[in-house]
This record gives sequence, C-alpha cells and structure tokens, in this order.
Amino acid sequence: MREQKGISRRDFLRFALMTPFALNYSPWLSPVQTDQTRSKVVLIRHPDVVDDRRKVKPQIFREMLDEALKVLLEAPNADEAWKKIIKPEDVVGIKSNVWSYLPTGREVEEVIKDRVLSCGVSEERIGVDDRGVLRNKIFRQATALINVRPIRTHYWSGIGGCLKNLITFAPDPSAYHPDTCADLALLWNNPLIKGKVRLNILLMLTPLFHGVGPHHFNEKYVWPYKGILLSQDPVAVDSIGVLILQAKRREFFGEERPLQPPAHHIIYAETRHRLGIANPQRIDLIKLGWSEGSLI
Amino acid sequence: MLKKMIYPTRKALLSKIFFPILFAQCVLFNYGLEAKVNCKKILEAKKEIIEKLGAFLPSSIEGWKASEEDNLYDPETIFSYIDGAGEVYRSYNFRWLLVRRYEKENFPPIIVDFFDMGRSENAFGVFTHDLEGDRVPIGQDGLYKGGWLAFWKGRFYVSIYSEAETETTKKIILALGEKIAKAIPEEGQRPHILDYLPSNWEKSQARYFRTLPILNYHFFVSTENWLELDETTQALLAHRLAENKRKTYLLLIEYPDEARAQRAIKKFLDNYLPEAKESGTARTENGLWEGARVYQNIGLLVFAASSSEEIEEIFKDVLIKIKEKKNQRS
Repeated sequence: MREQKGISRRDFLRFALMTPFALNYSPWLSPVQTDQTRSKVVLIRHPDVVDDRRKVKPQIFREMLDEALKVLLEAPNADEAWKKIIKPEDVVGIKSNVWSYLPTGREVEEVIKDRVLSCGVSEERIGVDDRGVLRNKIFRQATALINVRPIRTHYWSGIGGCLKNLITFAPDPSAYHPDTCADLALLWNNPLIKGKVRLNILLMLTPLFHGVGPHHFNEKYVWPYKGILLSQDPVAVDSIGVLILQAKRREFFGEERPLQPPAHHIIYAETRHRLGIANPQRIDLIKLGWSEGSLI
Repeated sequence: MLKKMIYPTRKALLSKIFFPILFAQCVLFNYGLEAKVNCKKILEAKKEIIEKLGAFLPSSIEGWKASEEDNLYDPETIFSYIDGAGEVYRSYNFRWLLVRRYEKENFPPIIVDFFDMGRSENAFGVFTHDLEGDRVPIGQDGLYKGGWLAFWKGRFYVSIYSEAETETTKKIILALGEKIAKAIPEEGQRPHILDYLPSNWEKSQARYFRTLPILNYHFFVSTENWLELDETTQALLAHRLAENKRKTYLLLIEYPDEARAQRAIKKFLDNYLPEAKESGTARTENGLWEGARVYQNIGLLVFAASSSEEIEEIFKDVLIKIKEKKNQRS
C-alpha cells in the first residue's frame, strides 16, 4: 500500500528532466512556498581582503561590507544603510561563530560592532557571542541580531551557513539532527530569534568546500574566494553560498561531487517552513567588486 | 479558637512544622549524599575507562608528548567535541571516545580520536563512512589523506589528525598509528554481509551501516524509511562503474527475519517503484533501471542499471554468493 510520501530519489530524477541542476543542487518539489516572491542577495569580492595566512584586513572588509549593505538596502550611503537596520535604542547581538578551524574572527566582529556603534547604540547594549548566547544577557534581551559566519561544508548538515549559525540558541542542539538537520529552519521560531535578525552575513572569504574525518577540516580544501554574501533572507544567502561551493567542488574534483549529505535544510526552509527563498531562480543576485574566479 | 489559629499548640507545631522540616532535611541530606556518592562513582568509572583506553596510546612519540589530560566523551557528550559529526558515530553505536592531544614545539598538534565502538562490525562500519585517501597497512584497514589517518582494529576505530600536513607530521601520524594498532591485541570480524558481494563489485569501496540517515548520506533513496532500516538490520552499499563514469549501485540489507524482509521490500516497491509490479524492476525517469527482490531474510536492491537484464544478472550473482556462504556457515 502506498504511504504518505516524503522526498525520494525518484523525485530528483523527475526534476532532472526539467533542469540540469537538479542532481547537483535540489528540487523544488513542494508547491508550498514562502509568501515572499523574490529575495535579494549581494555578493561582493575584493582581491586583497585576506592575506596569505587567511588574516582579514579590517579596512578593506569594512569598505566591502558598507558597499554591499548600501546596495542591498538601496540606501544613498553606507551610514544610512546601517541606520535602516539598527536603531539607537536597539540591544544588538552579533551572532558569531567560533569553530576553531574557521571562525568568524575578531577583525570581522570588530568591524560589525563598530558599525553598530556608529548607529548610536551604546557599547553596553552590544554583545558578540556564539556558544554562550543562552547565558548572555544581551542576547536574551536583544531586539536586533546580526548573523555572521564563514560558510563551510558540514559533516552532518551538508553546509554550515547562516541558517545553521543560530543553533546555539537551542538548549538541545541535537534535537535538530534528525534527517541530517532537515528542519533547521524551525530554529528561527525561537522567541529569542524570531523577527530579530536584521542582517545575514555569510563570509565567503576563505570557504571550506570539502572535508573528511571527524574534524572535517583540511587546509587543502580551503580557498581564498575573498567574498561576502549579504542578505536579509537567511535562506537565500545560504542557497547562493551552496551554488558557489558546488561550483568549486566541480572545479576541484573535475566531476560532479554533490554535497554529502545534501544541504536539504535550505530547501525545506522554503518549502516546509516558508522562512525565505531557496530557489536560485527567484533570487536576485547582485555582484559587486572583483569578478575573477567568481564561479557564479 | 482565635488564639489557637494564631498560636499553634505544641502538638500542631511538631506535626505540621517541625516534623515536615526534619523530614525534608533528611531527604535532602540523603539525596545530596546519594548524589555525591553517585557522582564519585561516575568519576571513578570514567577514570577507569580513561586509563583502560589510554593504555592503547603511547604517552609520547619521537619528541611529541601528550600535552594535557585525556578527554572522554560518550554518545551524549560527543556533540560538545565534534558537533553534528557525532551523529555518524552514534549511528554506529559507539560507546566511548577518548581524545589525546600530542604537542611538540613549532609543529601543529596531533589529535588522536580513539573510539571504542563496542563491536568490530561497528568499527569496520564507521571506517567505511569516509573512504577517501590512500590505503595504508595499519590496523585491519587503514587510510591516509592529507594529515589524516583512519584505521580500525578489533572493536576500535582510530582517527589521527593534524591540522596542517608536513613531511614530519605525516611520518609521526603513521608511526603513531602503527604503535596504537600494535597495542590493540585482537583483530575483529568483518560483517558477514560483505561475503555476499560478488567479485565484480569493489569491496574496498563498500559502505556498511544500519540506519537510513547513513544510507541517504552516501546514496539518497528517500526520506521515508520504507526499507525499515534500524539497529537490527545490517546493510551494505556498493557500486561499480559503468559507461561515462556512471555508477550502478547495489544495496544489500539483512533483516532479522524473512517476514520483515518481505514486508520492507514490498513497502519499498509499492512506494518507490510502483511501476515494477510483479517483476520487481522498472525503468526510471533517467532511462536507467532499478529493482528490488527478497531472498530469505535478505533484501537486494539495484539502482541505476542499464537494463532489467543487468539487474537480473546482478541478483543472480548475489544469490549464488549468499547460498554459497550460507552453506559454508551451516
């Protein structure tokens, strides 16, 4: 007897008839989608933003971030753009990532904090944290969150991106592990998060595009892409990030090498949870700056 | 009466206030004492496990010294060490993970993750999860790739890792691996389901597992567990190359009994391959063929074959192997 269907390989095969990208990326199987019709993502790159030792040059990073935000929010200048998302009365949590092999990094955190200060928010109302957010008074009282982390392939969820970065708000993160983290988007219903994330910054400075072993890190699979992806939609920003990782994997391995496991939590974030747009065809990608080897 | 309400009698004082407080204190004292005793017992047990597992690892090697105290993780605490990757080891029922860090000045640290998988099948299985790298003769099977060595022996799975690979670290990692492998006295048995794989399938690239997330990790079939994979099943996924780098996949699943095998394969065919009907094979949207069959308590599934005849051929080869091995065992 036929049962209620989830997603199967047959669905992928059916979709493959419609688009050559189906098996590389993902199908848009469910008619249920977010009420949003399109999302906007800005990609900005600069050849000198990181040095040979992967260290970020704060001044260049700041200029890139400002320019990207100005374009994203269609503001006349960067100051106005920042003021569109952060108000002086806000309590702001900058949700960073401390994964030891590829952290967000102090330079990046400081630039963002400085920009928040420039919006008139006093220092004691700004917090930067990752694993301690649940114990952090600022994050518990936050009215605004800025979500920032580097993209990387991930042993269990396919990729670690902006959607996954808020996992430390969950008292029991492993509760999100079933079906290789399929429903990570549910995290965004947490009252400490819901409606508060004003900006998602997916660092593409030195992404990790492949990994093996329990630690899932090897210098060999890190490349200096020297970019930043910016969006107010966490699903769209991750979706574009995956396309770039996939392109790099294709280039590096000389064949199709789909993410293992597939980062299906991004698809479900749109089709099941209506959090944002995952379908690249409905994402307006604006590319700024250095274009060599952009892969997209 | 009013006086009684305001000033309780001695009897009331004793029965309603003093005794309950005394009782609560006793409970709390005993509970605290019990908790303390339990806590002490747990710490002692943990210490014992650290000593037991740590005995397989050298305290130093060619100037590299164990830098700090060993850490021990169990299936509940592993996420604090390796995040979501812990799910893979949990899928293979790992018992304990002992972590030792070796350091030497001016070199990147080397980390040994020493997993007690409880059974040799699980140690073998978790080894087959990551099959990238060059084979090295360490343990029962060993692989080395860019600063990472993995091997299994007996009921243990070992990962030795350095963040940056140099000629020196590679040498130390391999030497450390050899030393640890030698310290493990007994070899373990490989899962017998491996014996059912015909010779024209690459055994060294086959994945052994028990659960659906691991199947989907390597070869996505469905989010629905129509195949009824769980801790009681044993599965093997193998592939072989066809034309244009295309891969044909063979999935073997051993169920605890025949009835369950029949039920699971029927459920799979009804839902995944309804066109198959009686034959158990059908052509899918990409023009290739897929199929499933049951023999006794074993489910046989083929994906991405060039024709139904090829599937029949594969089934035939597997059945010959199964019968041969089952006869040998009986």
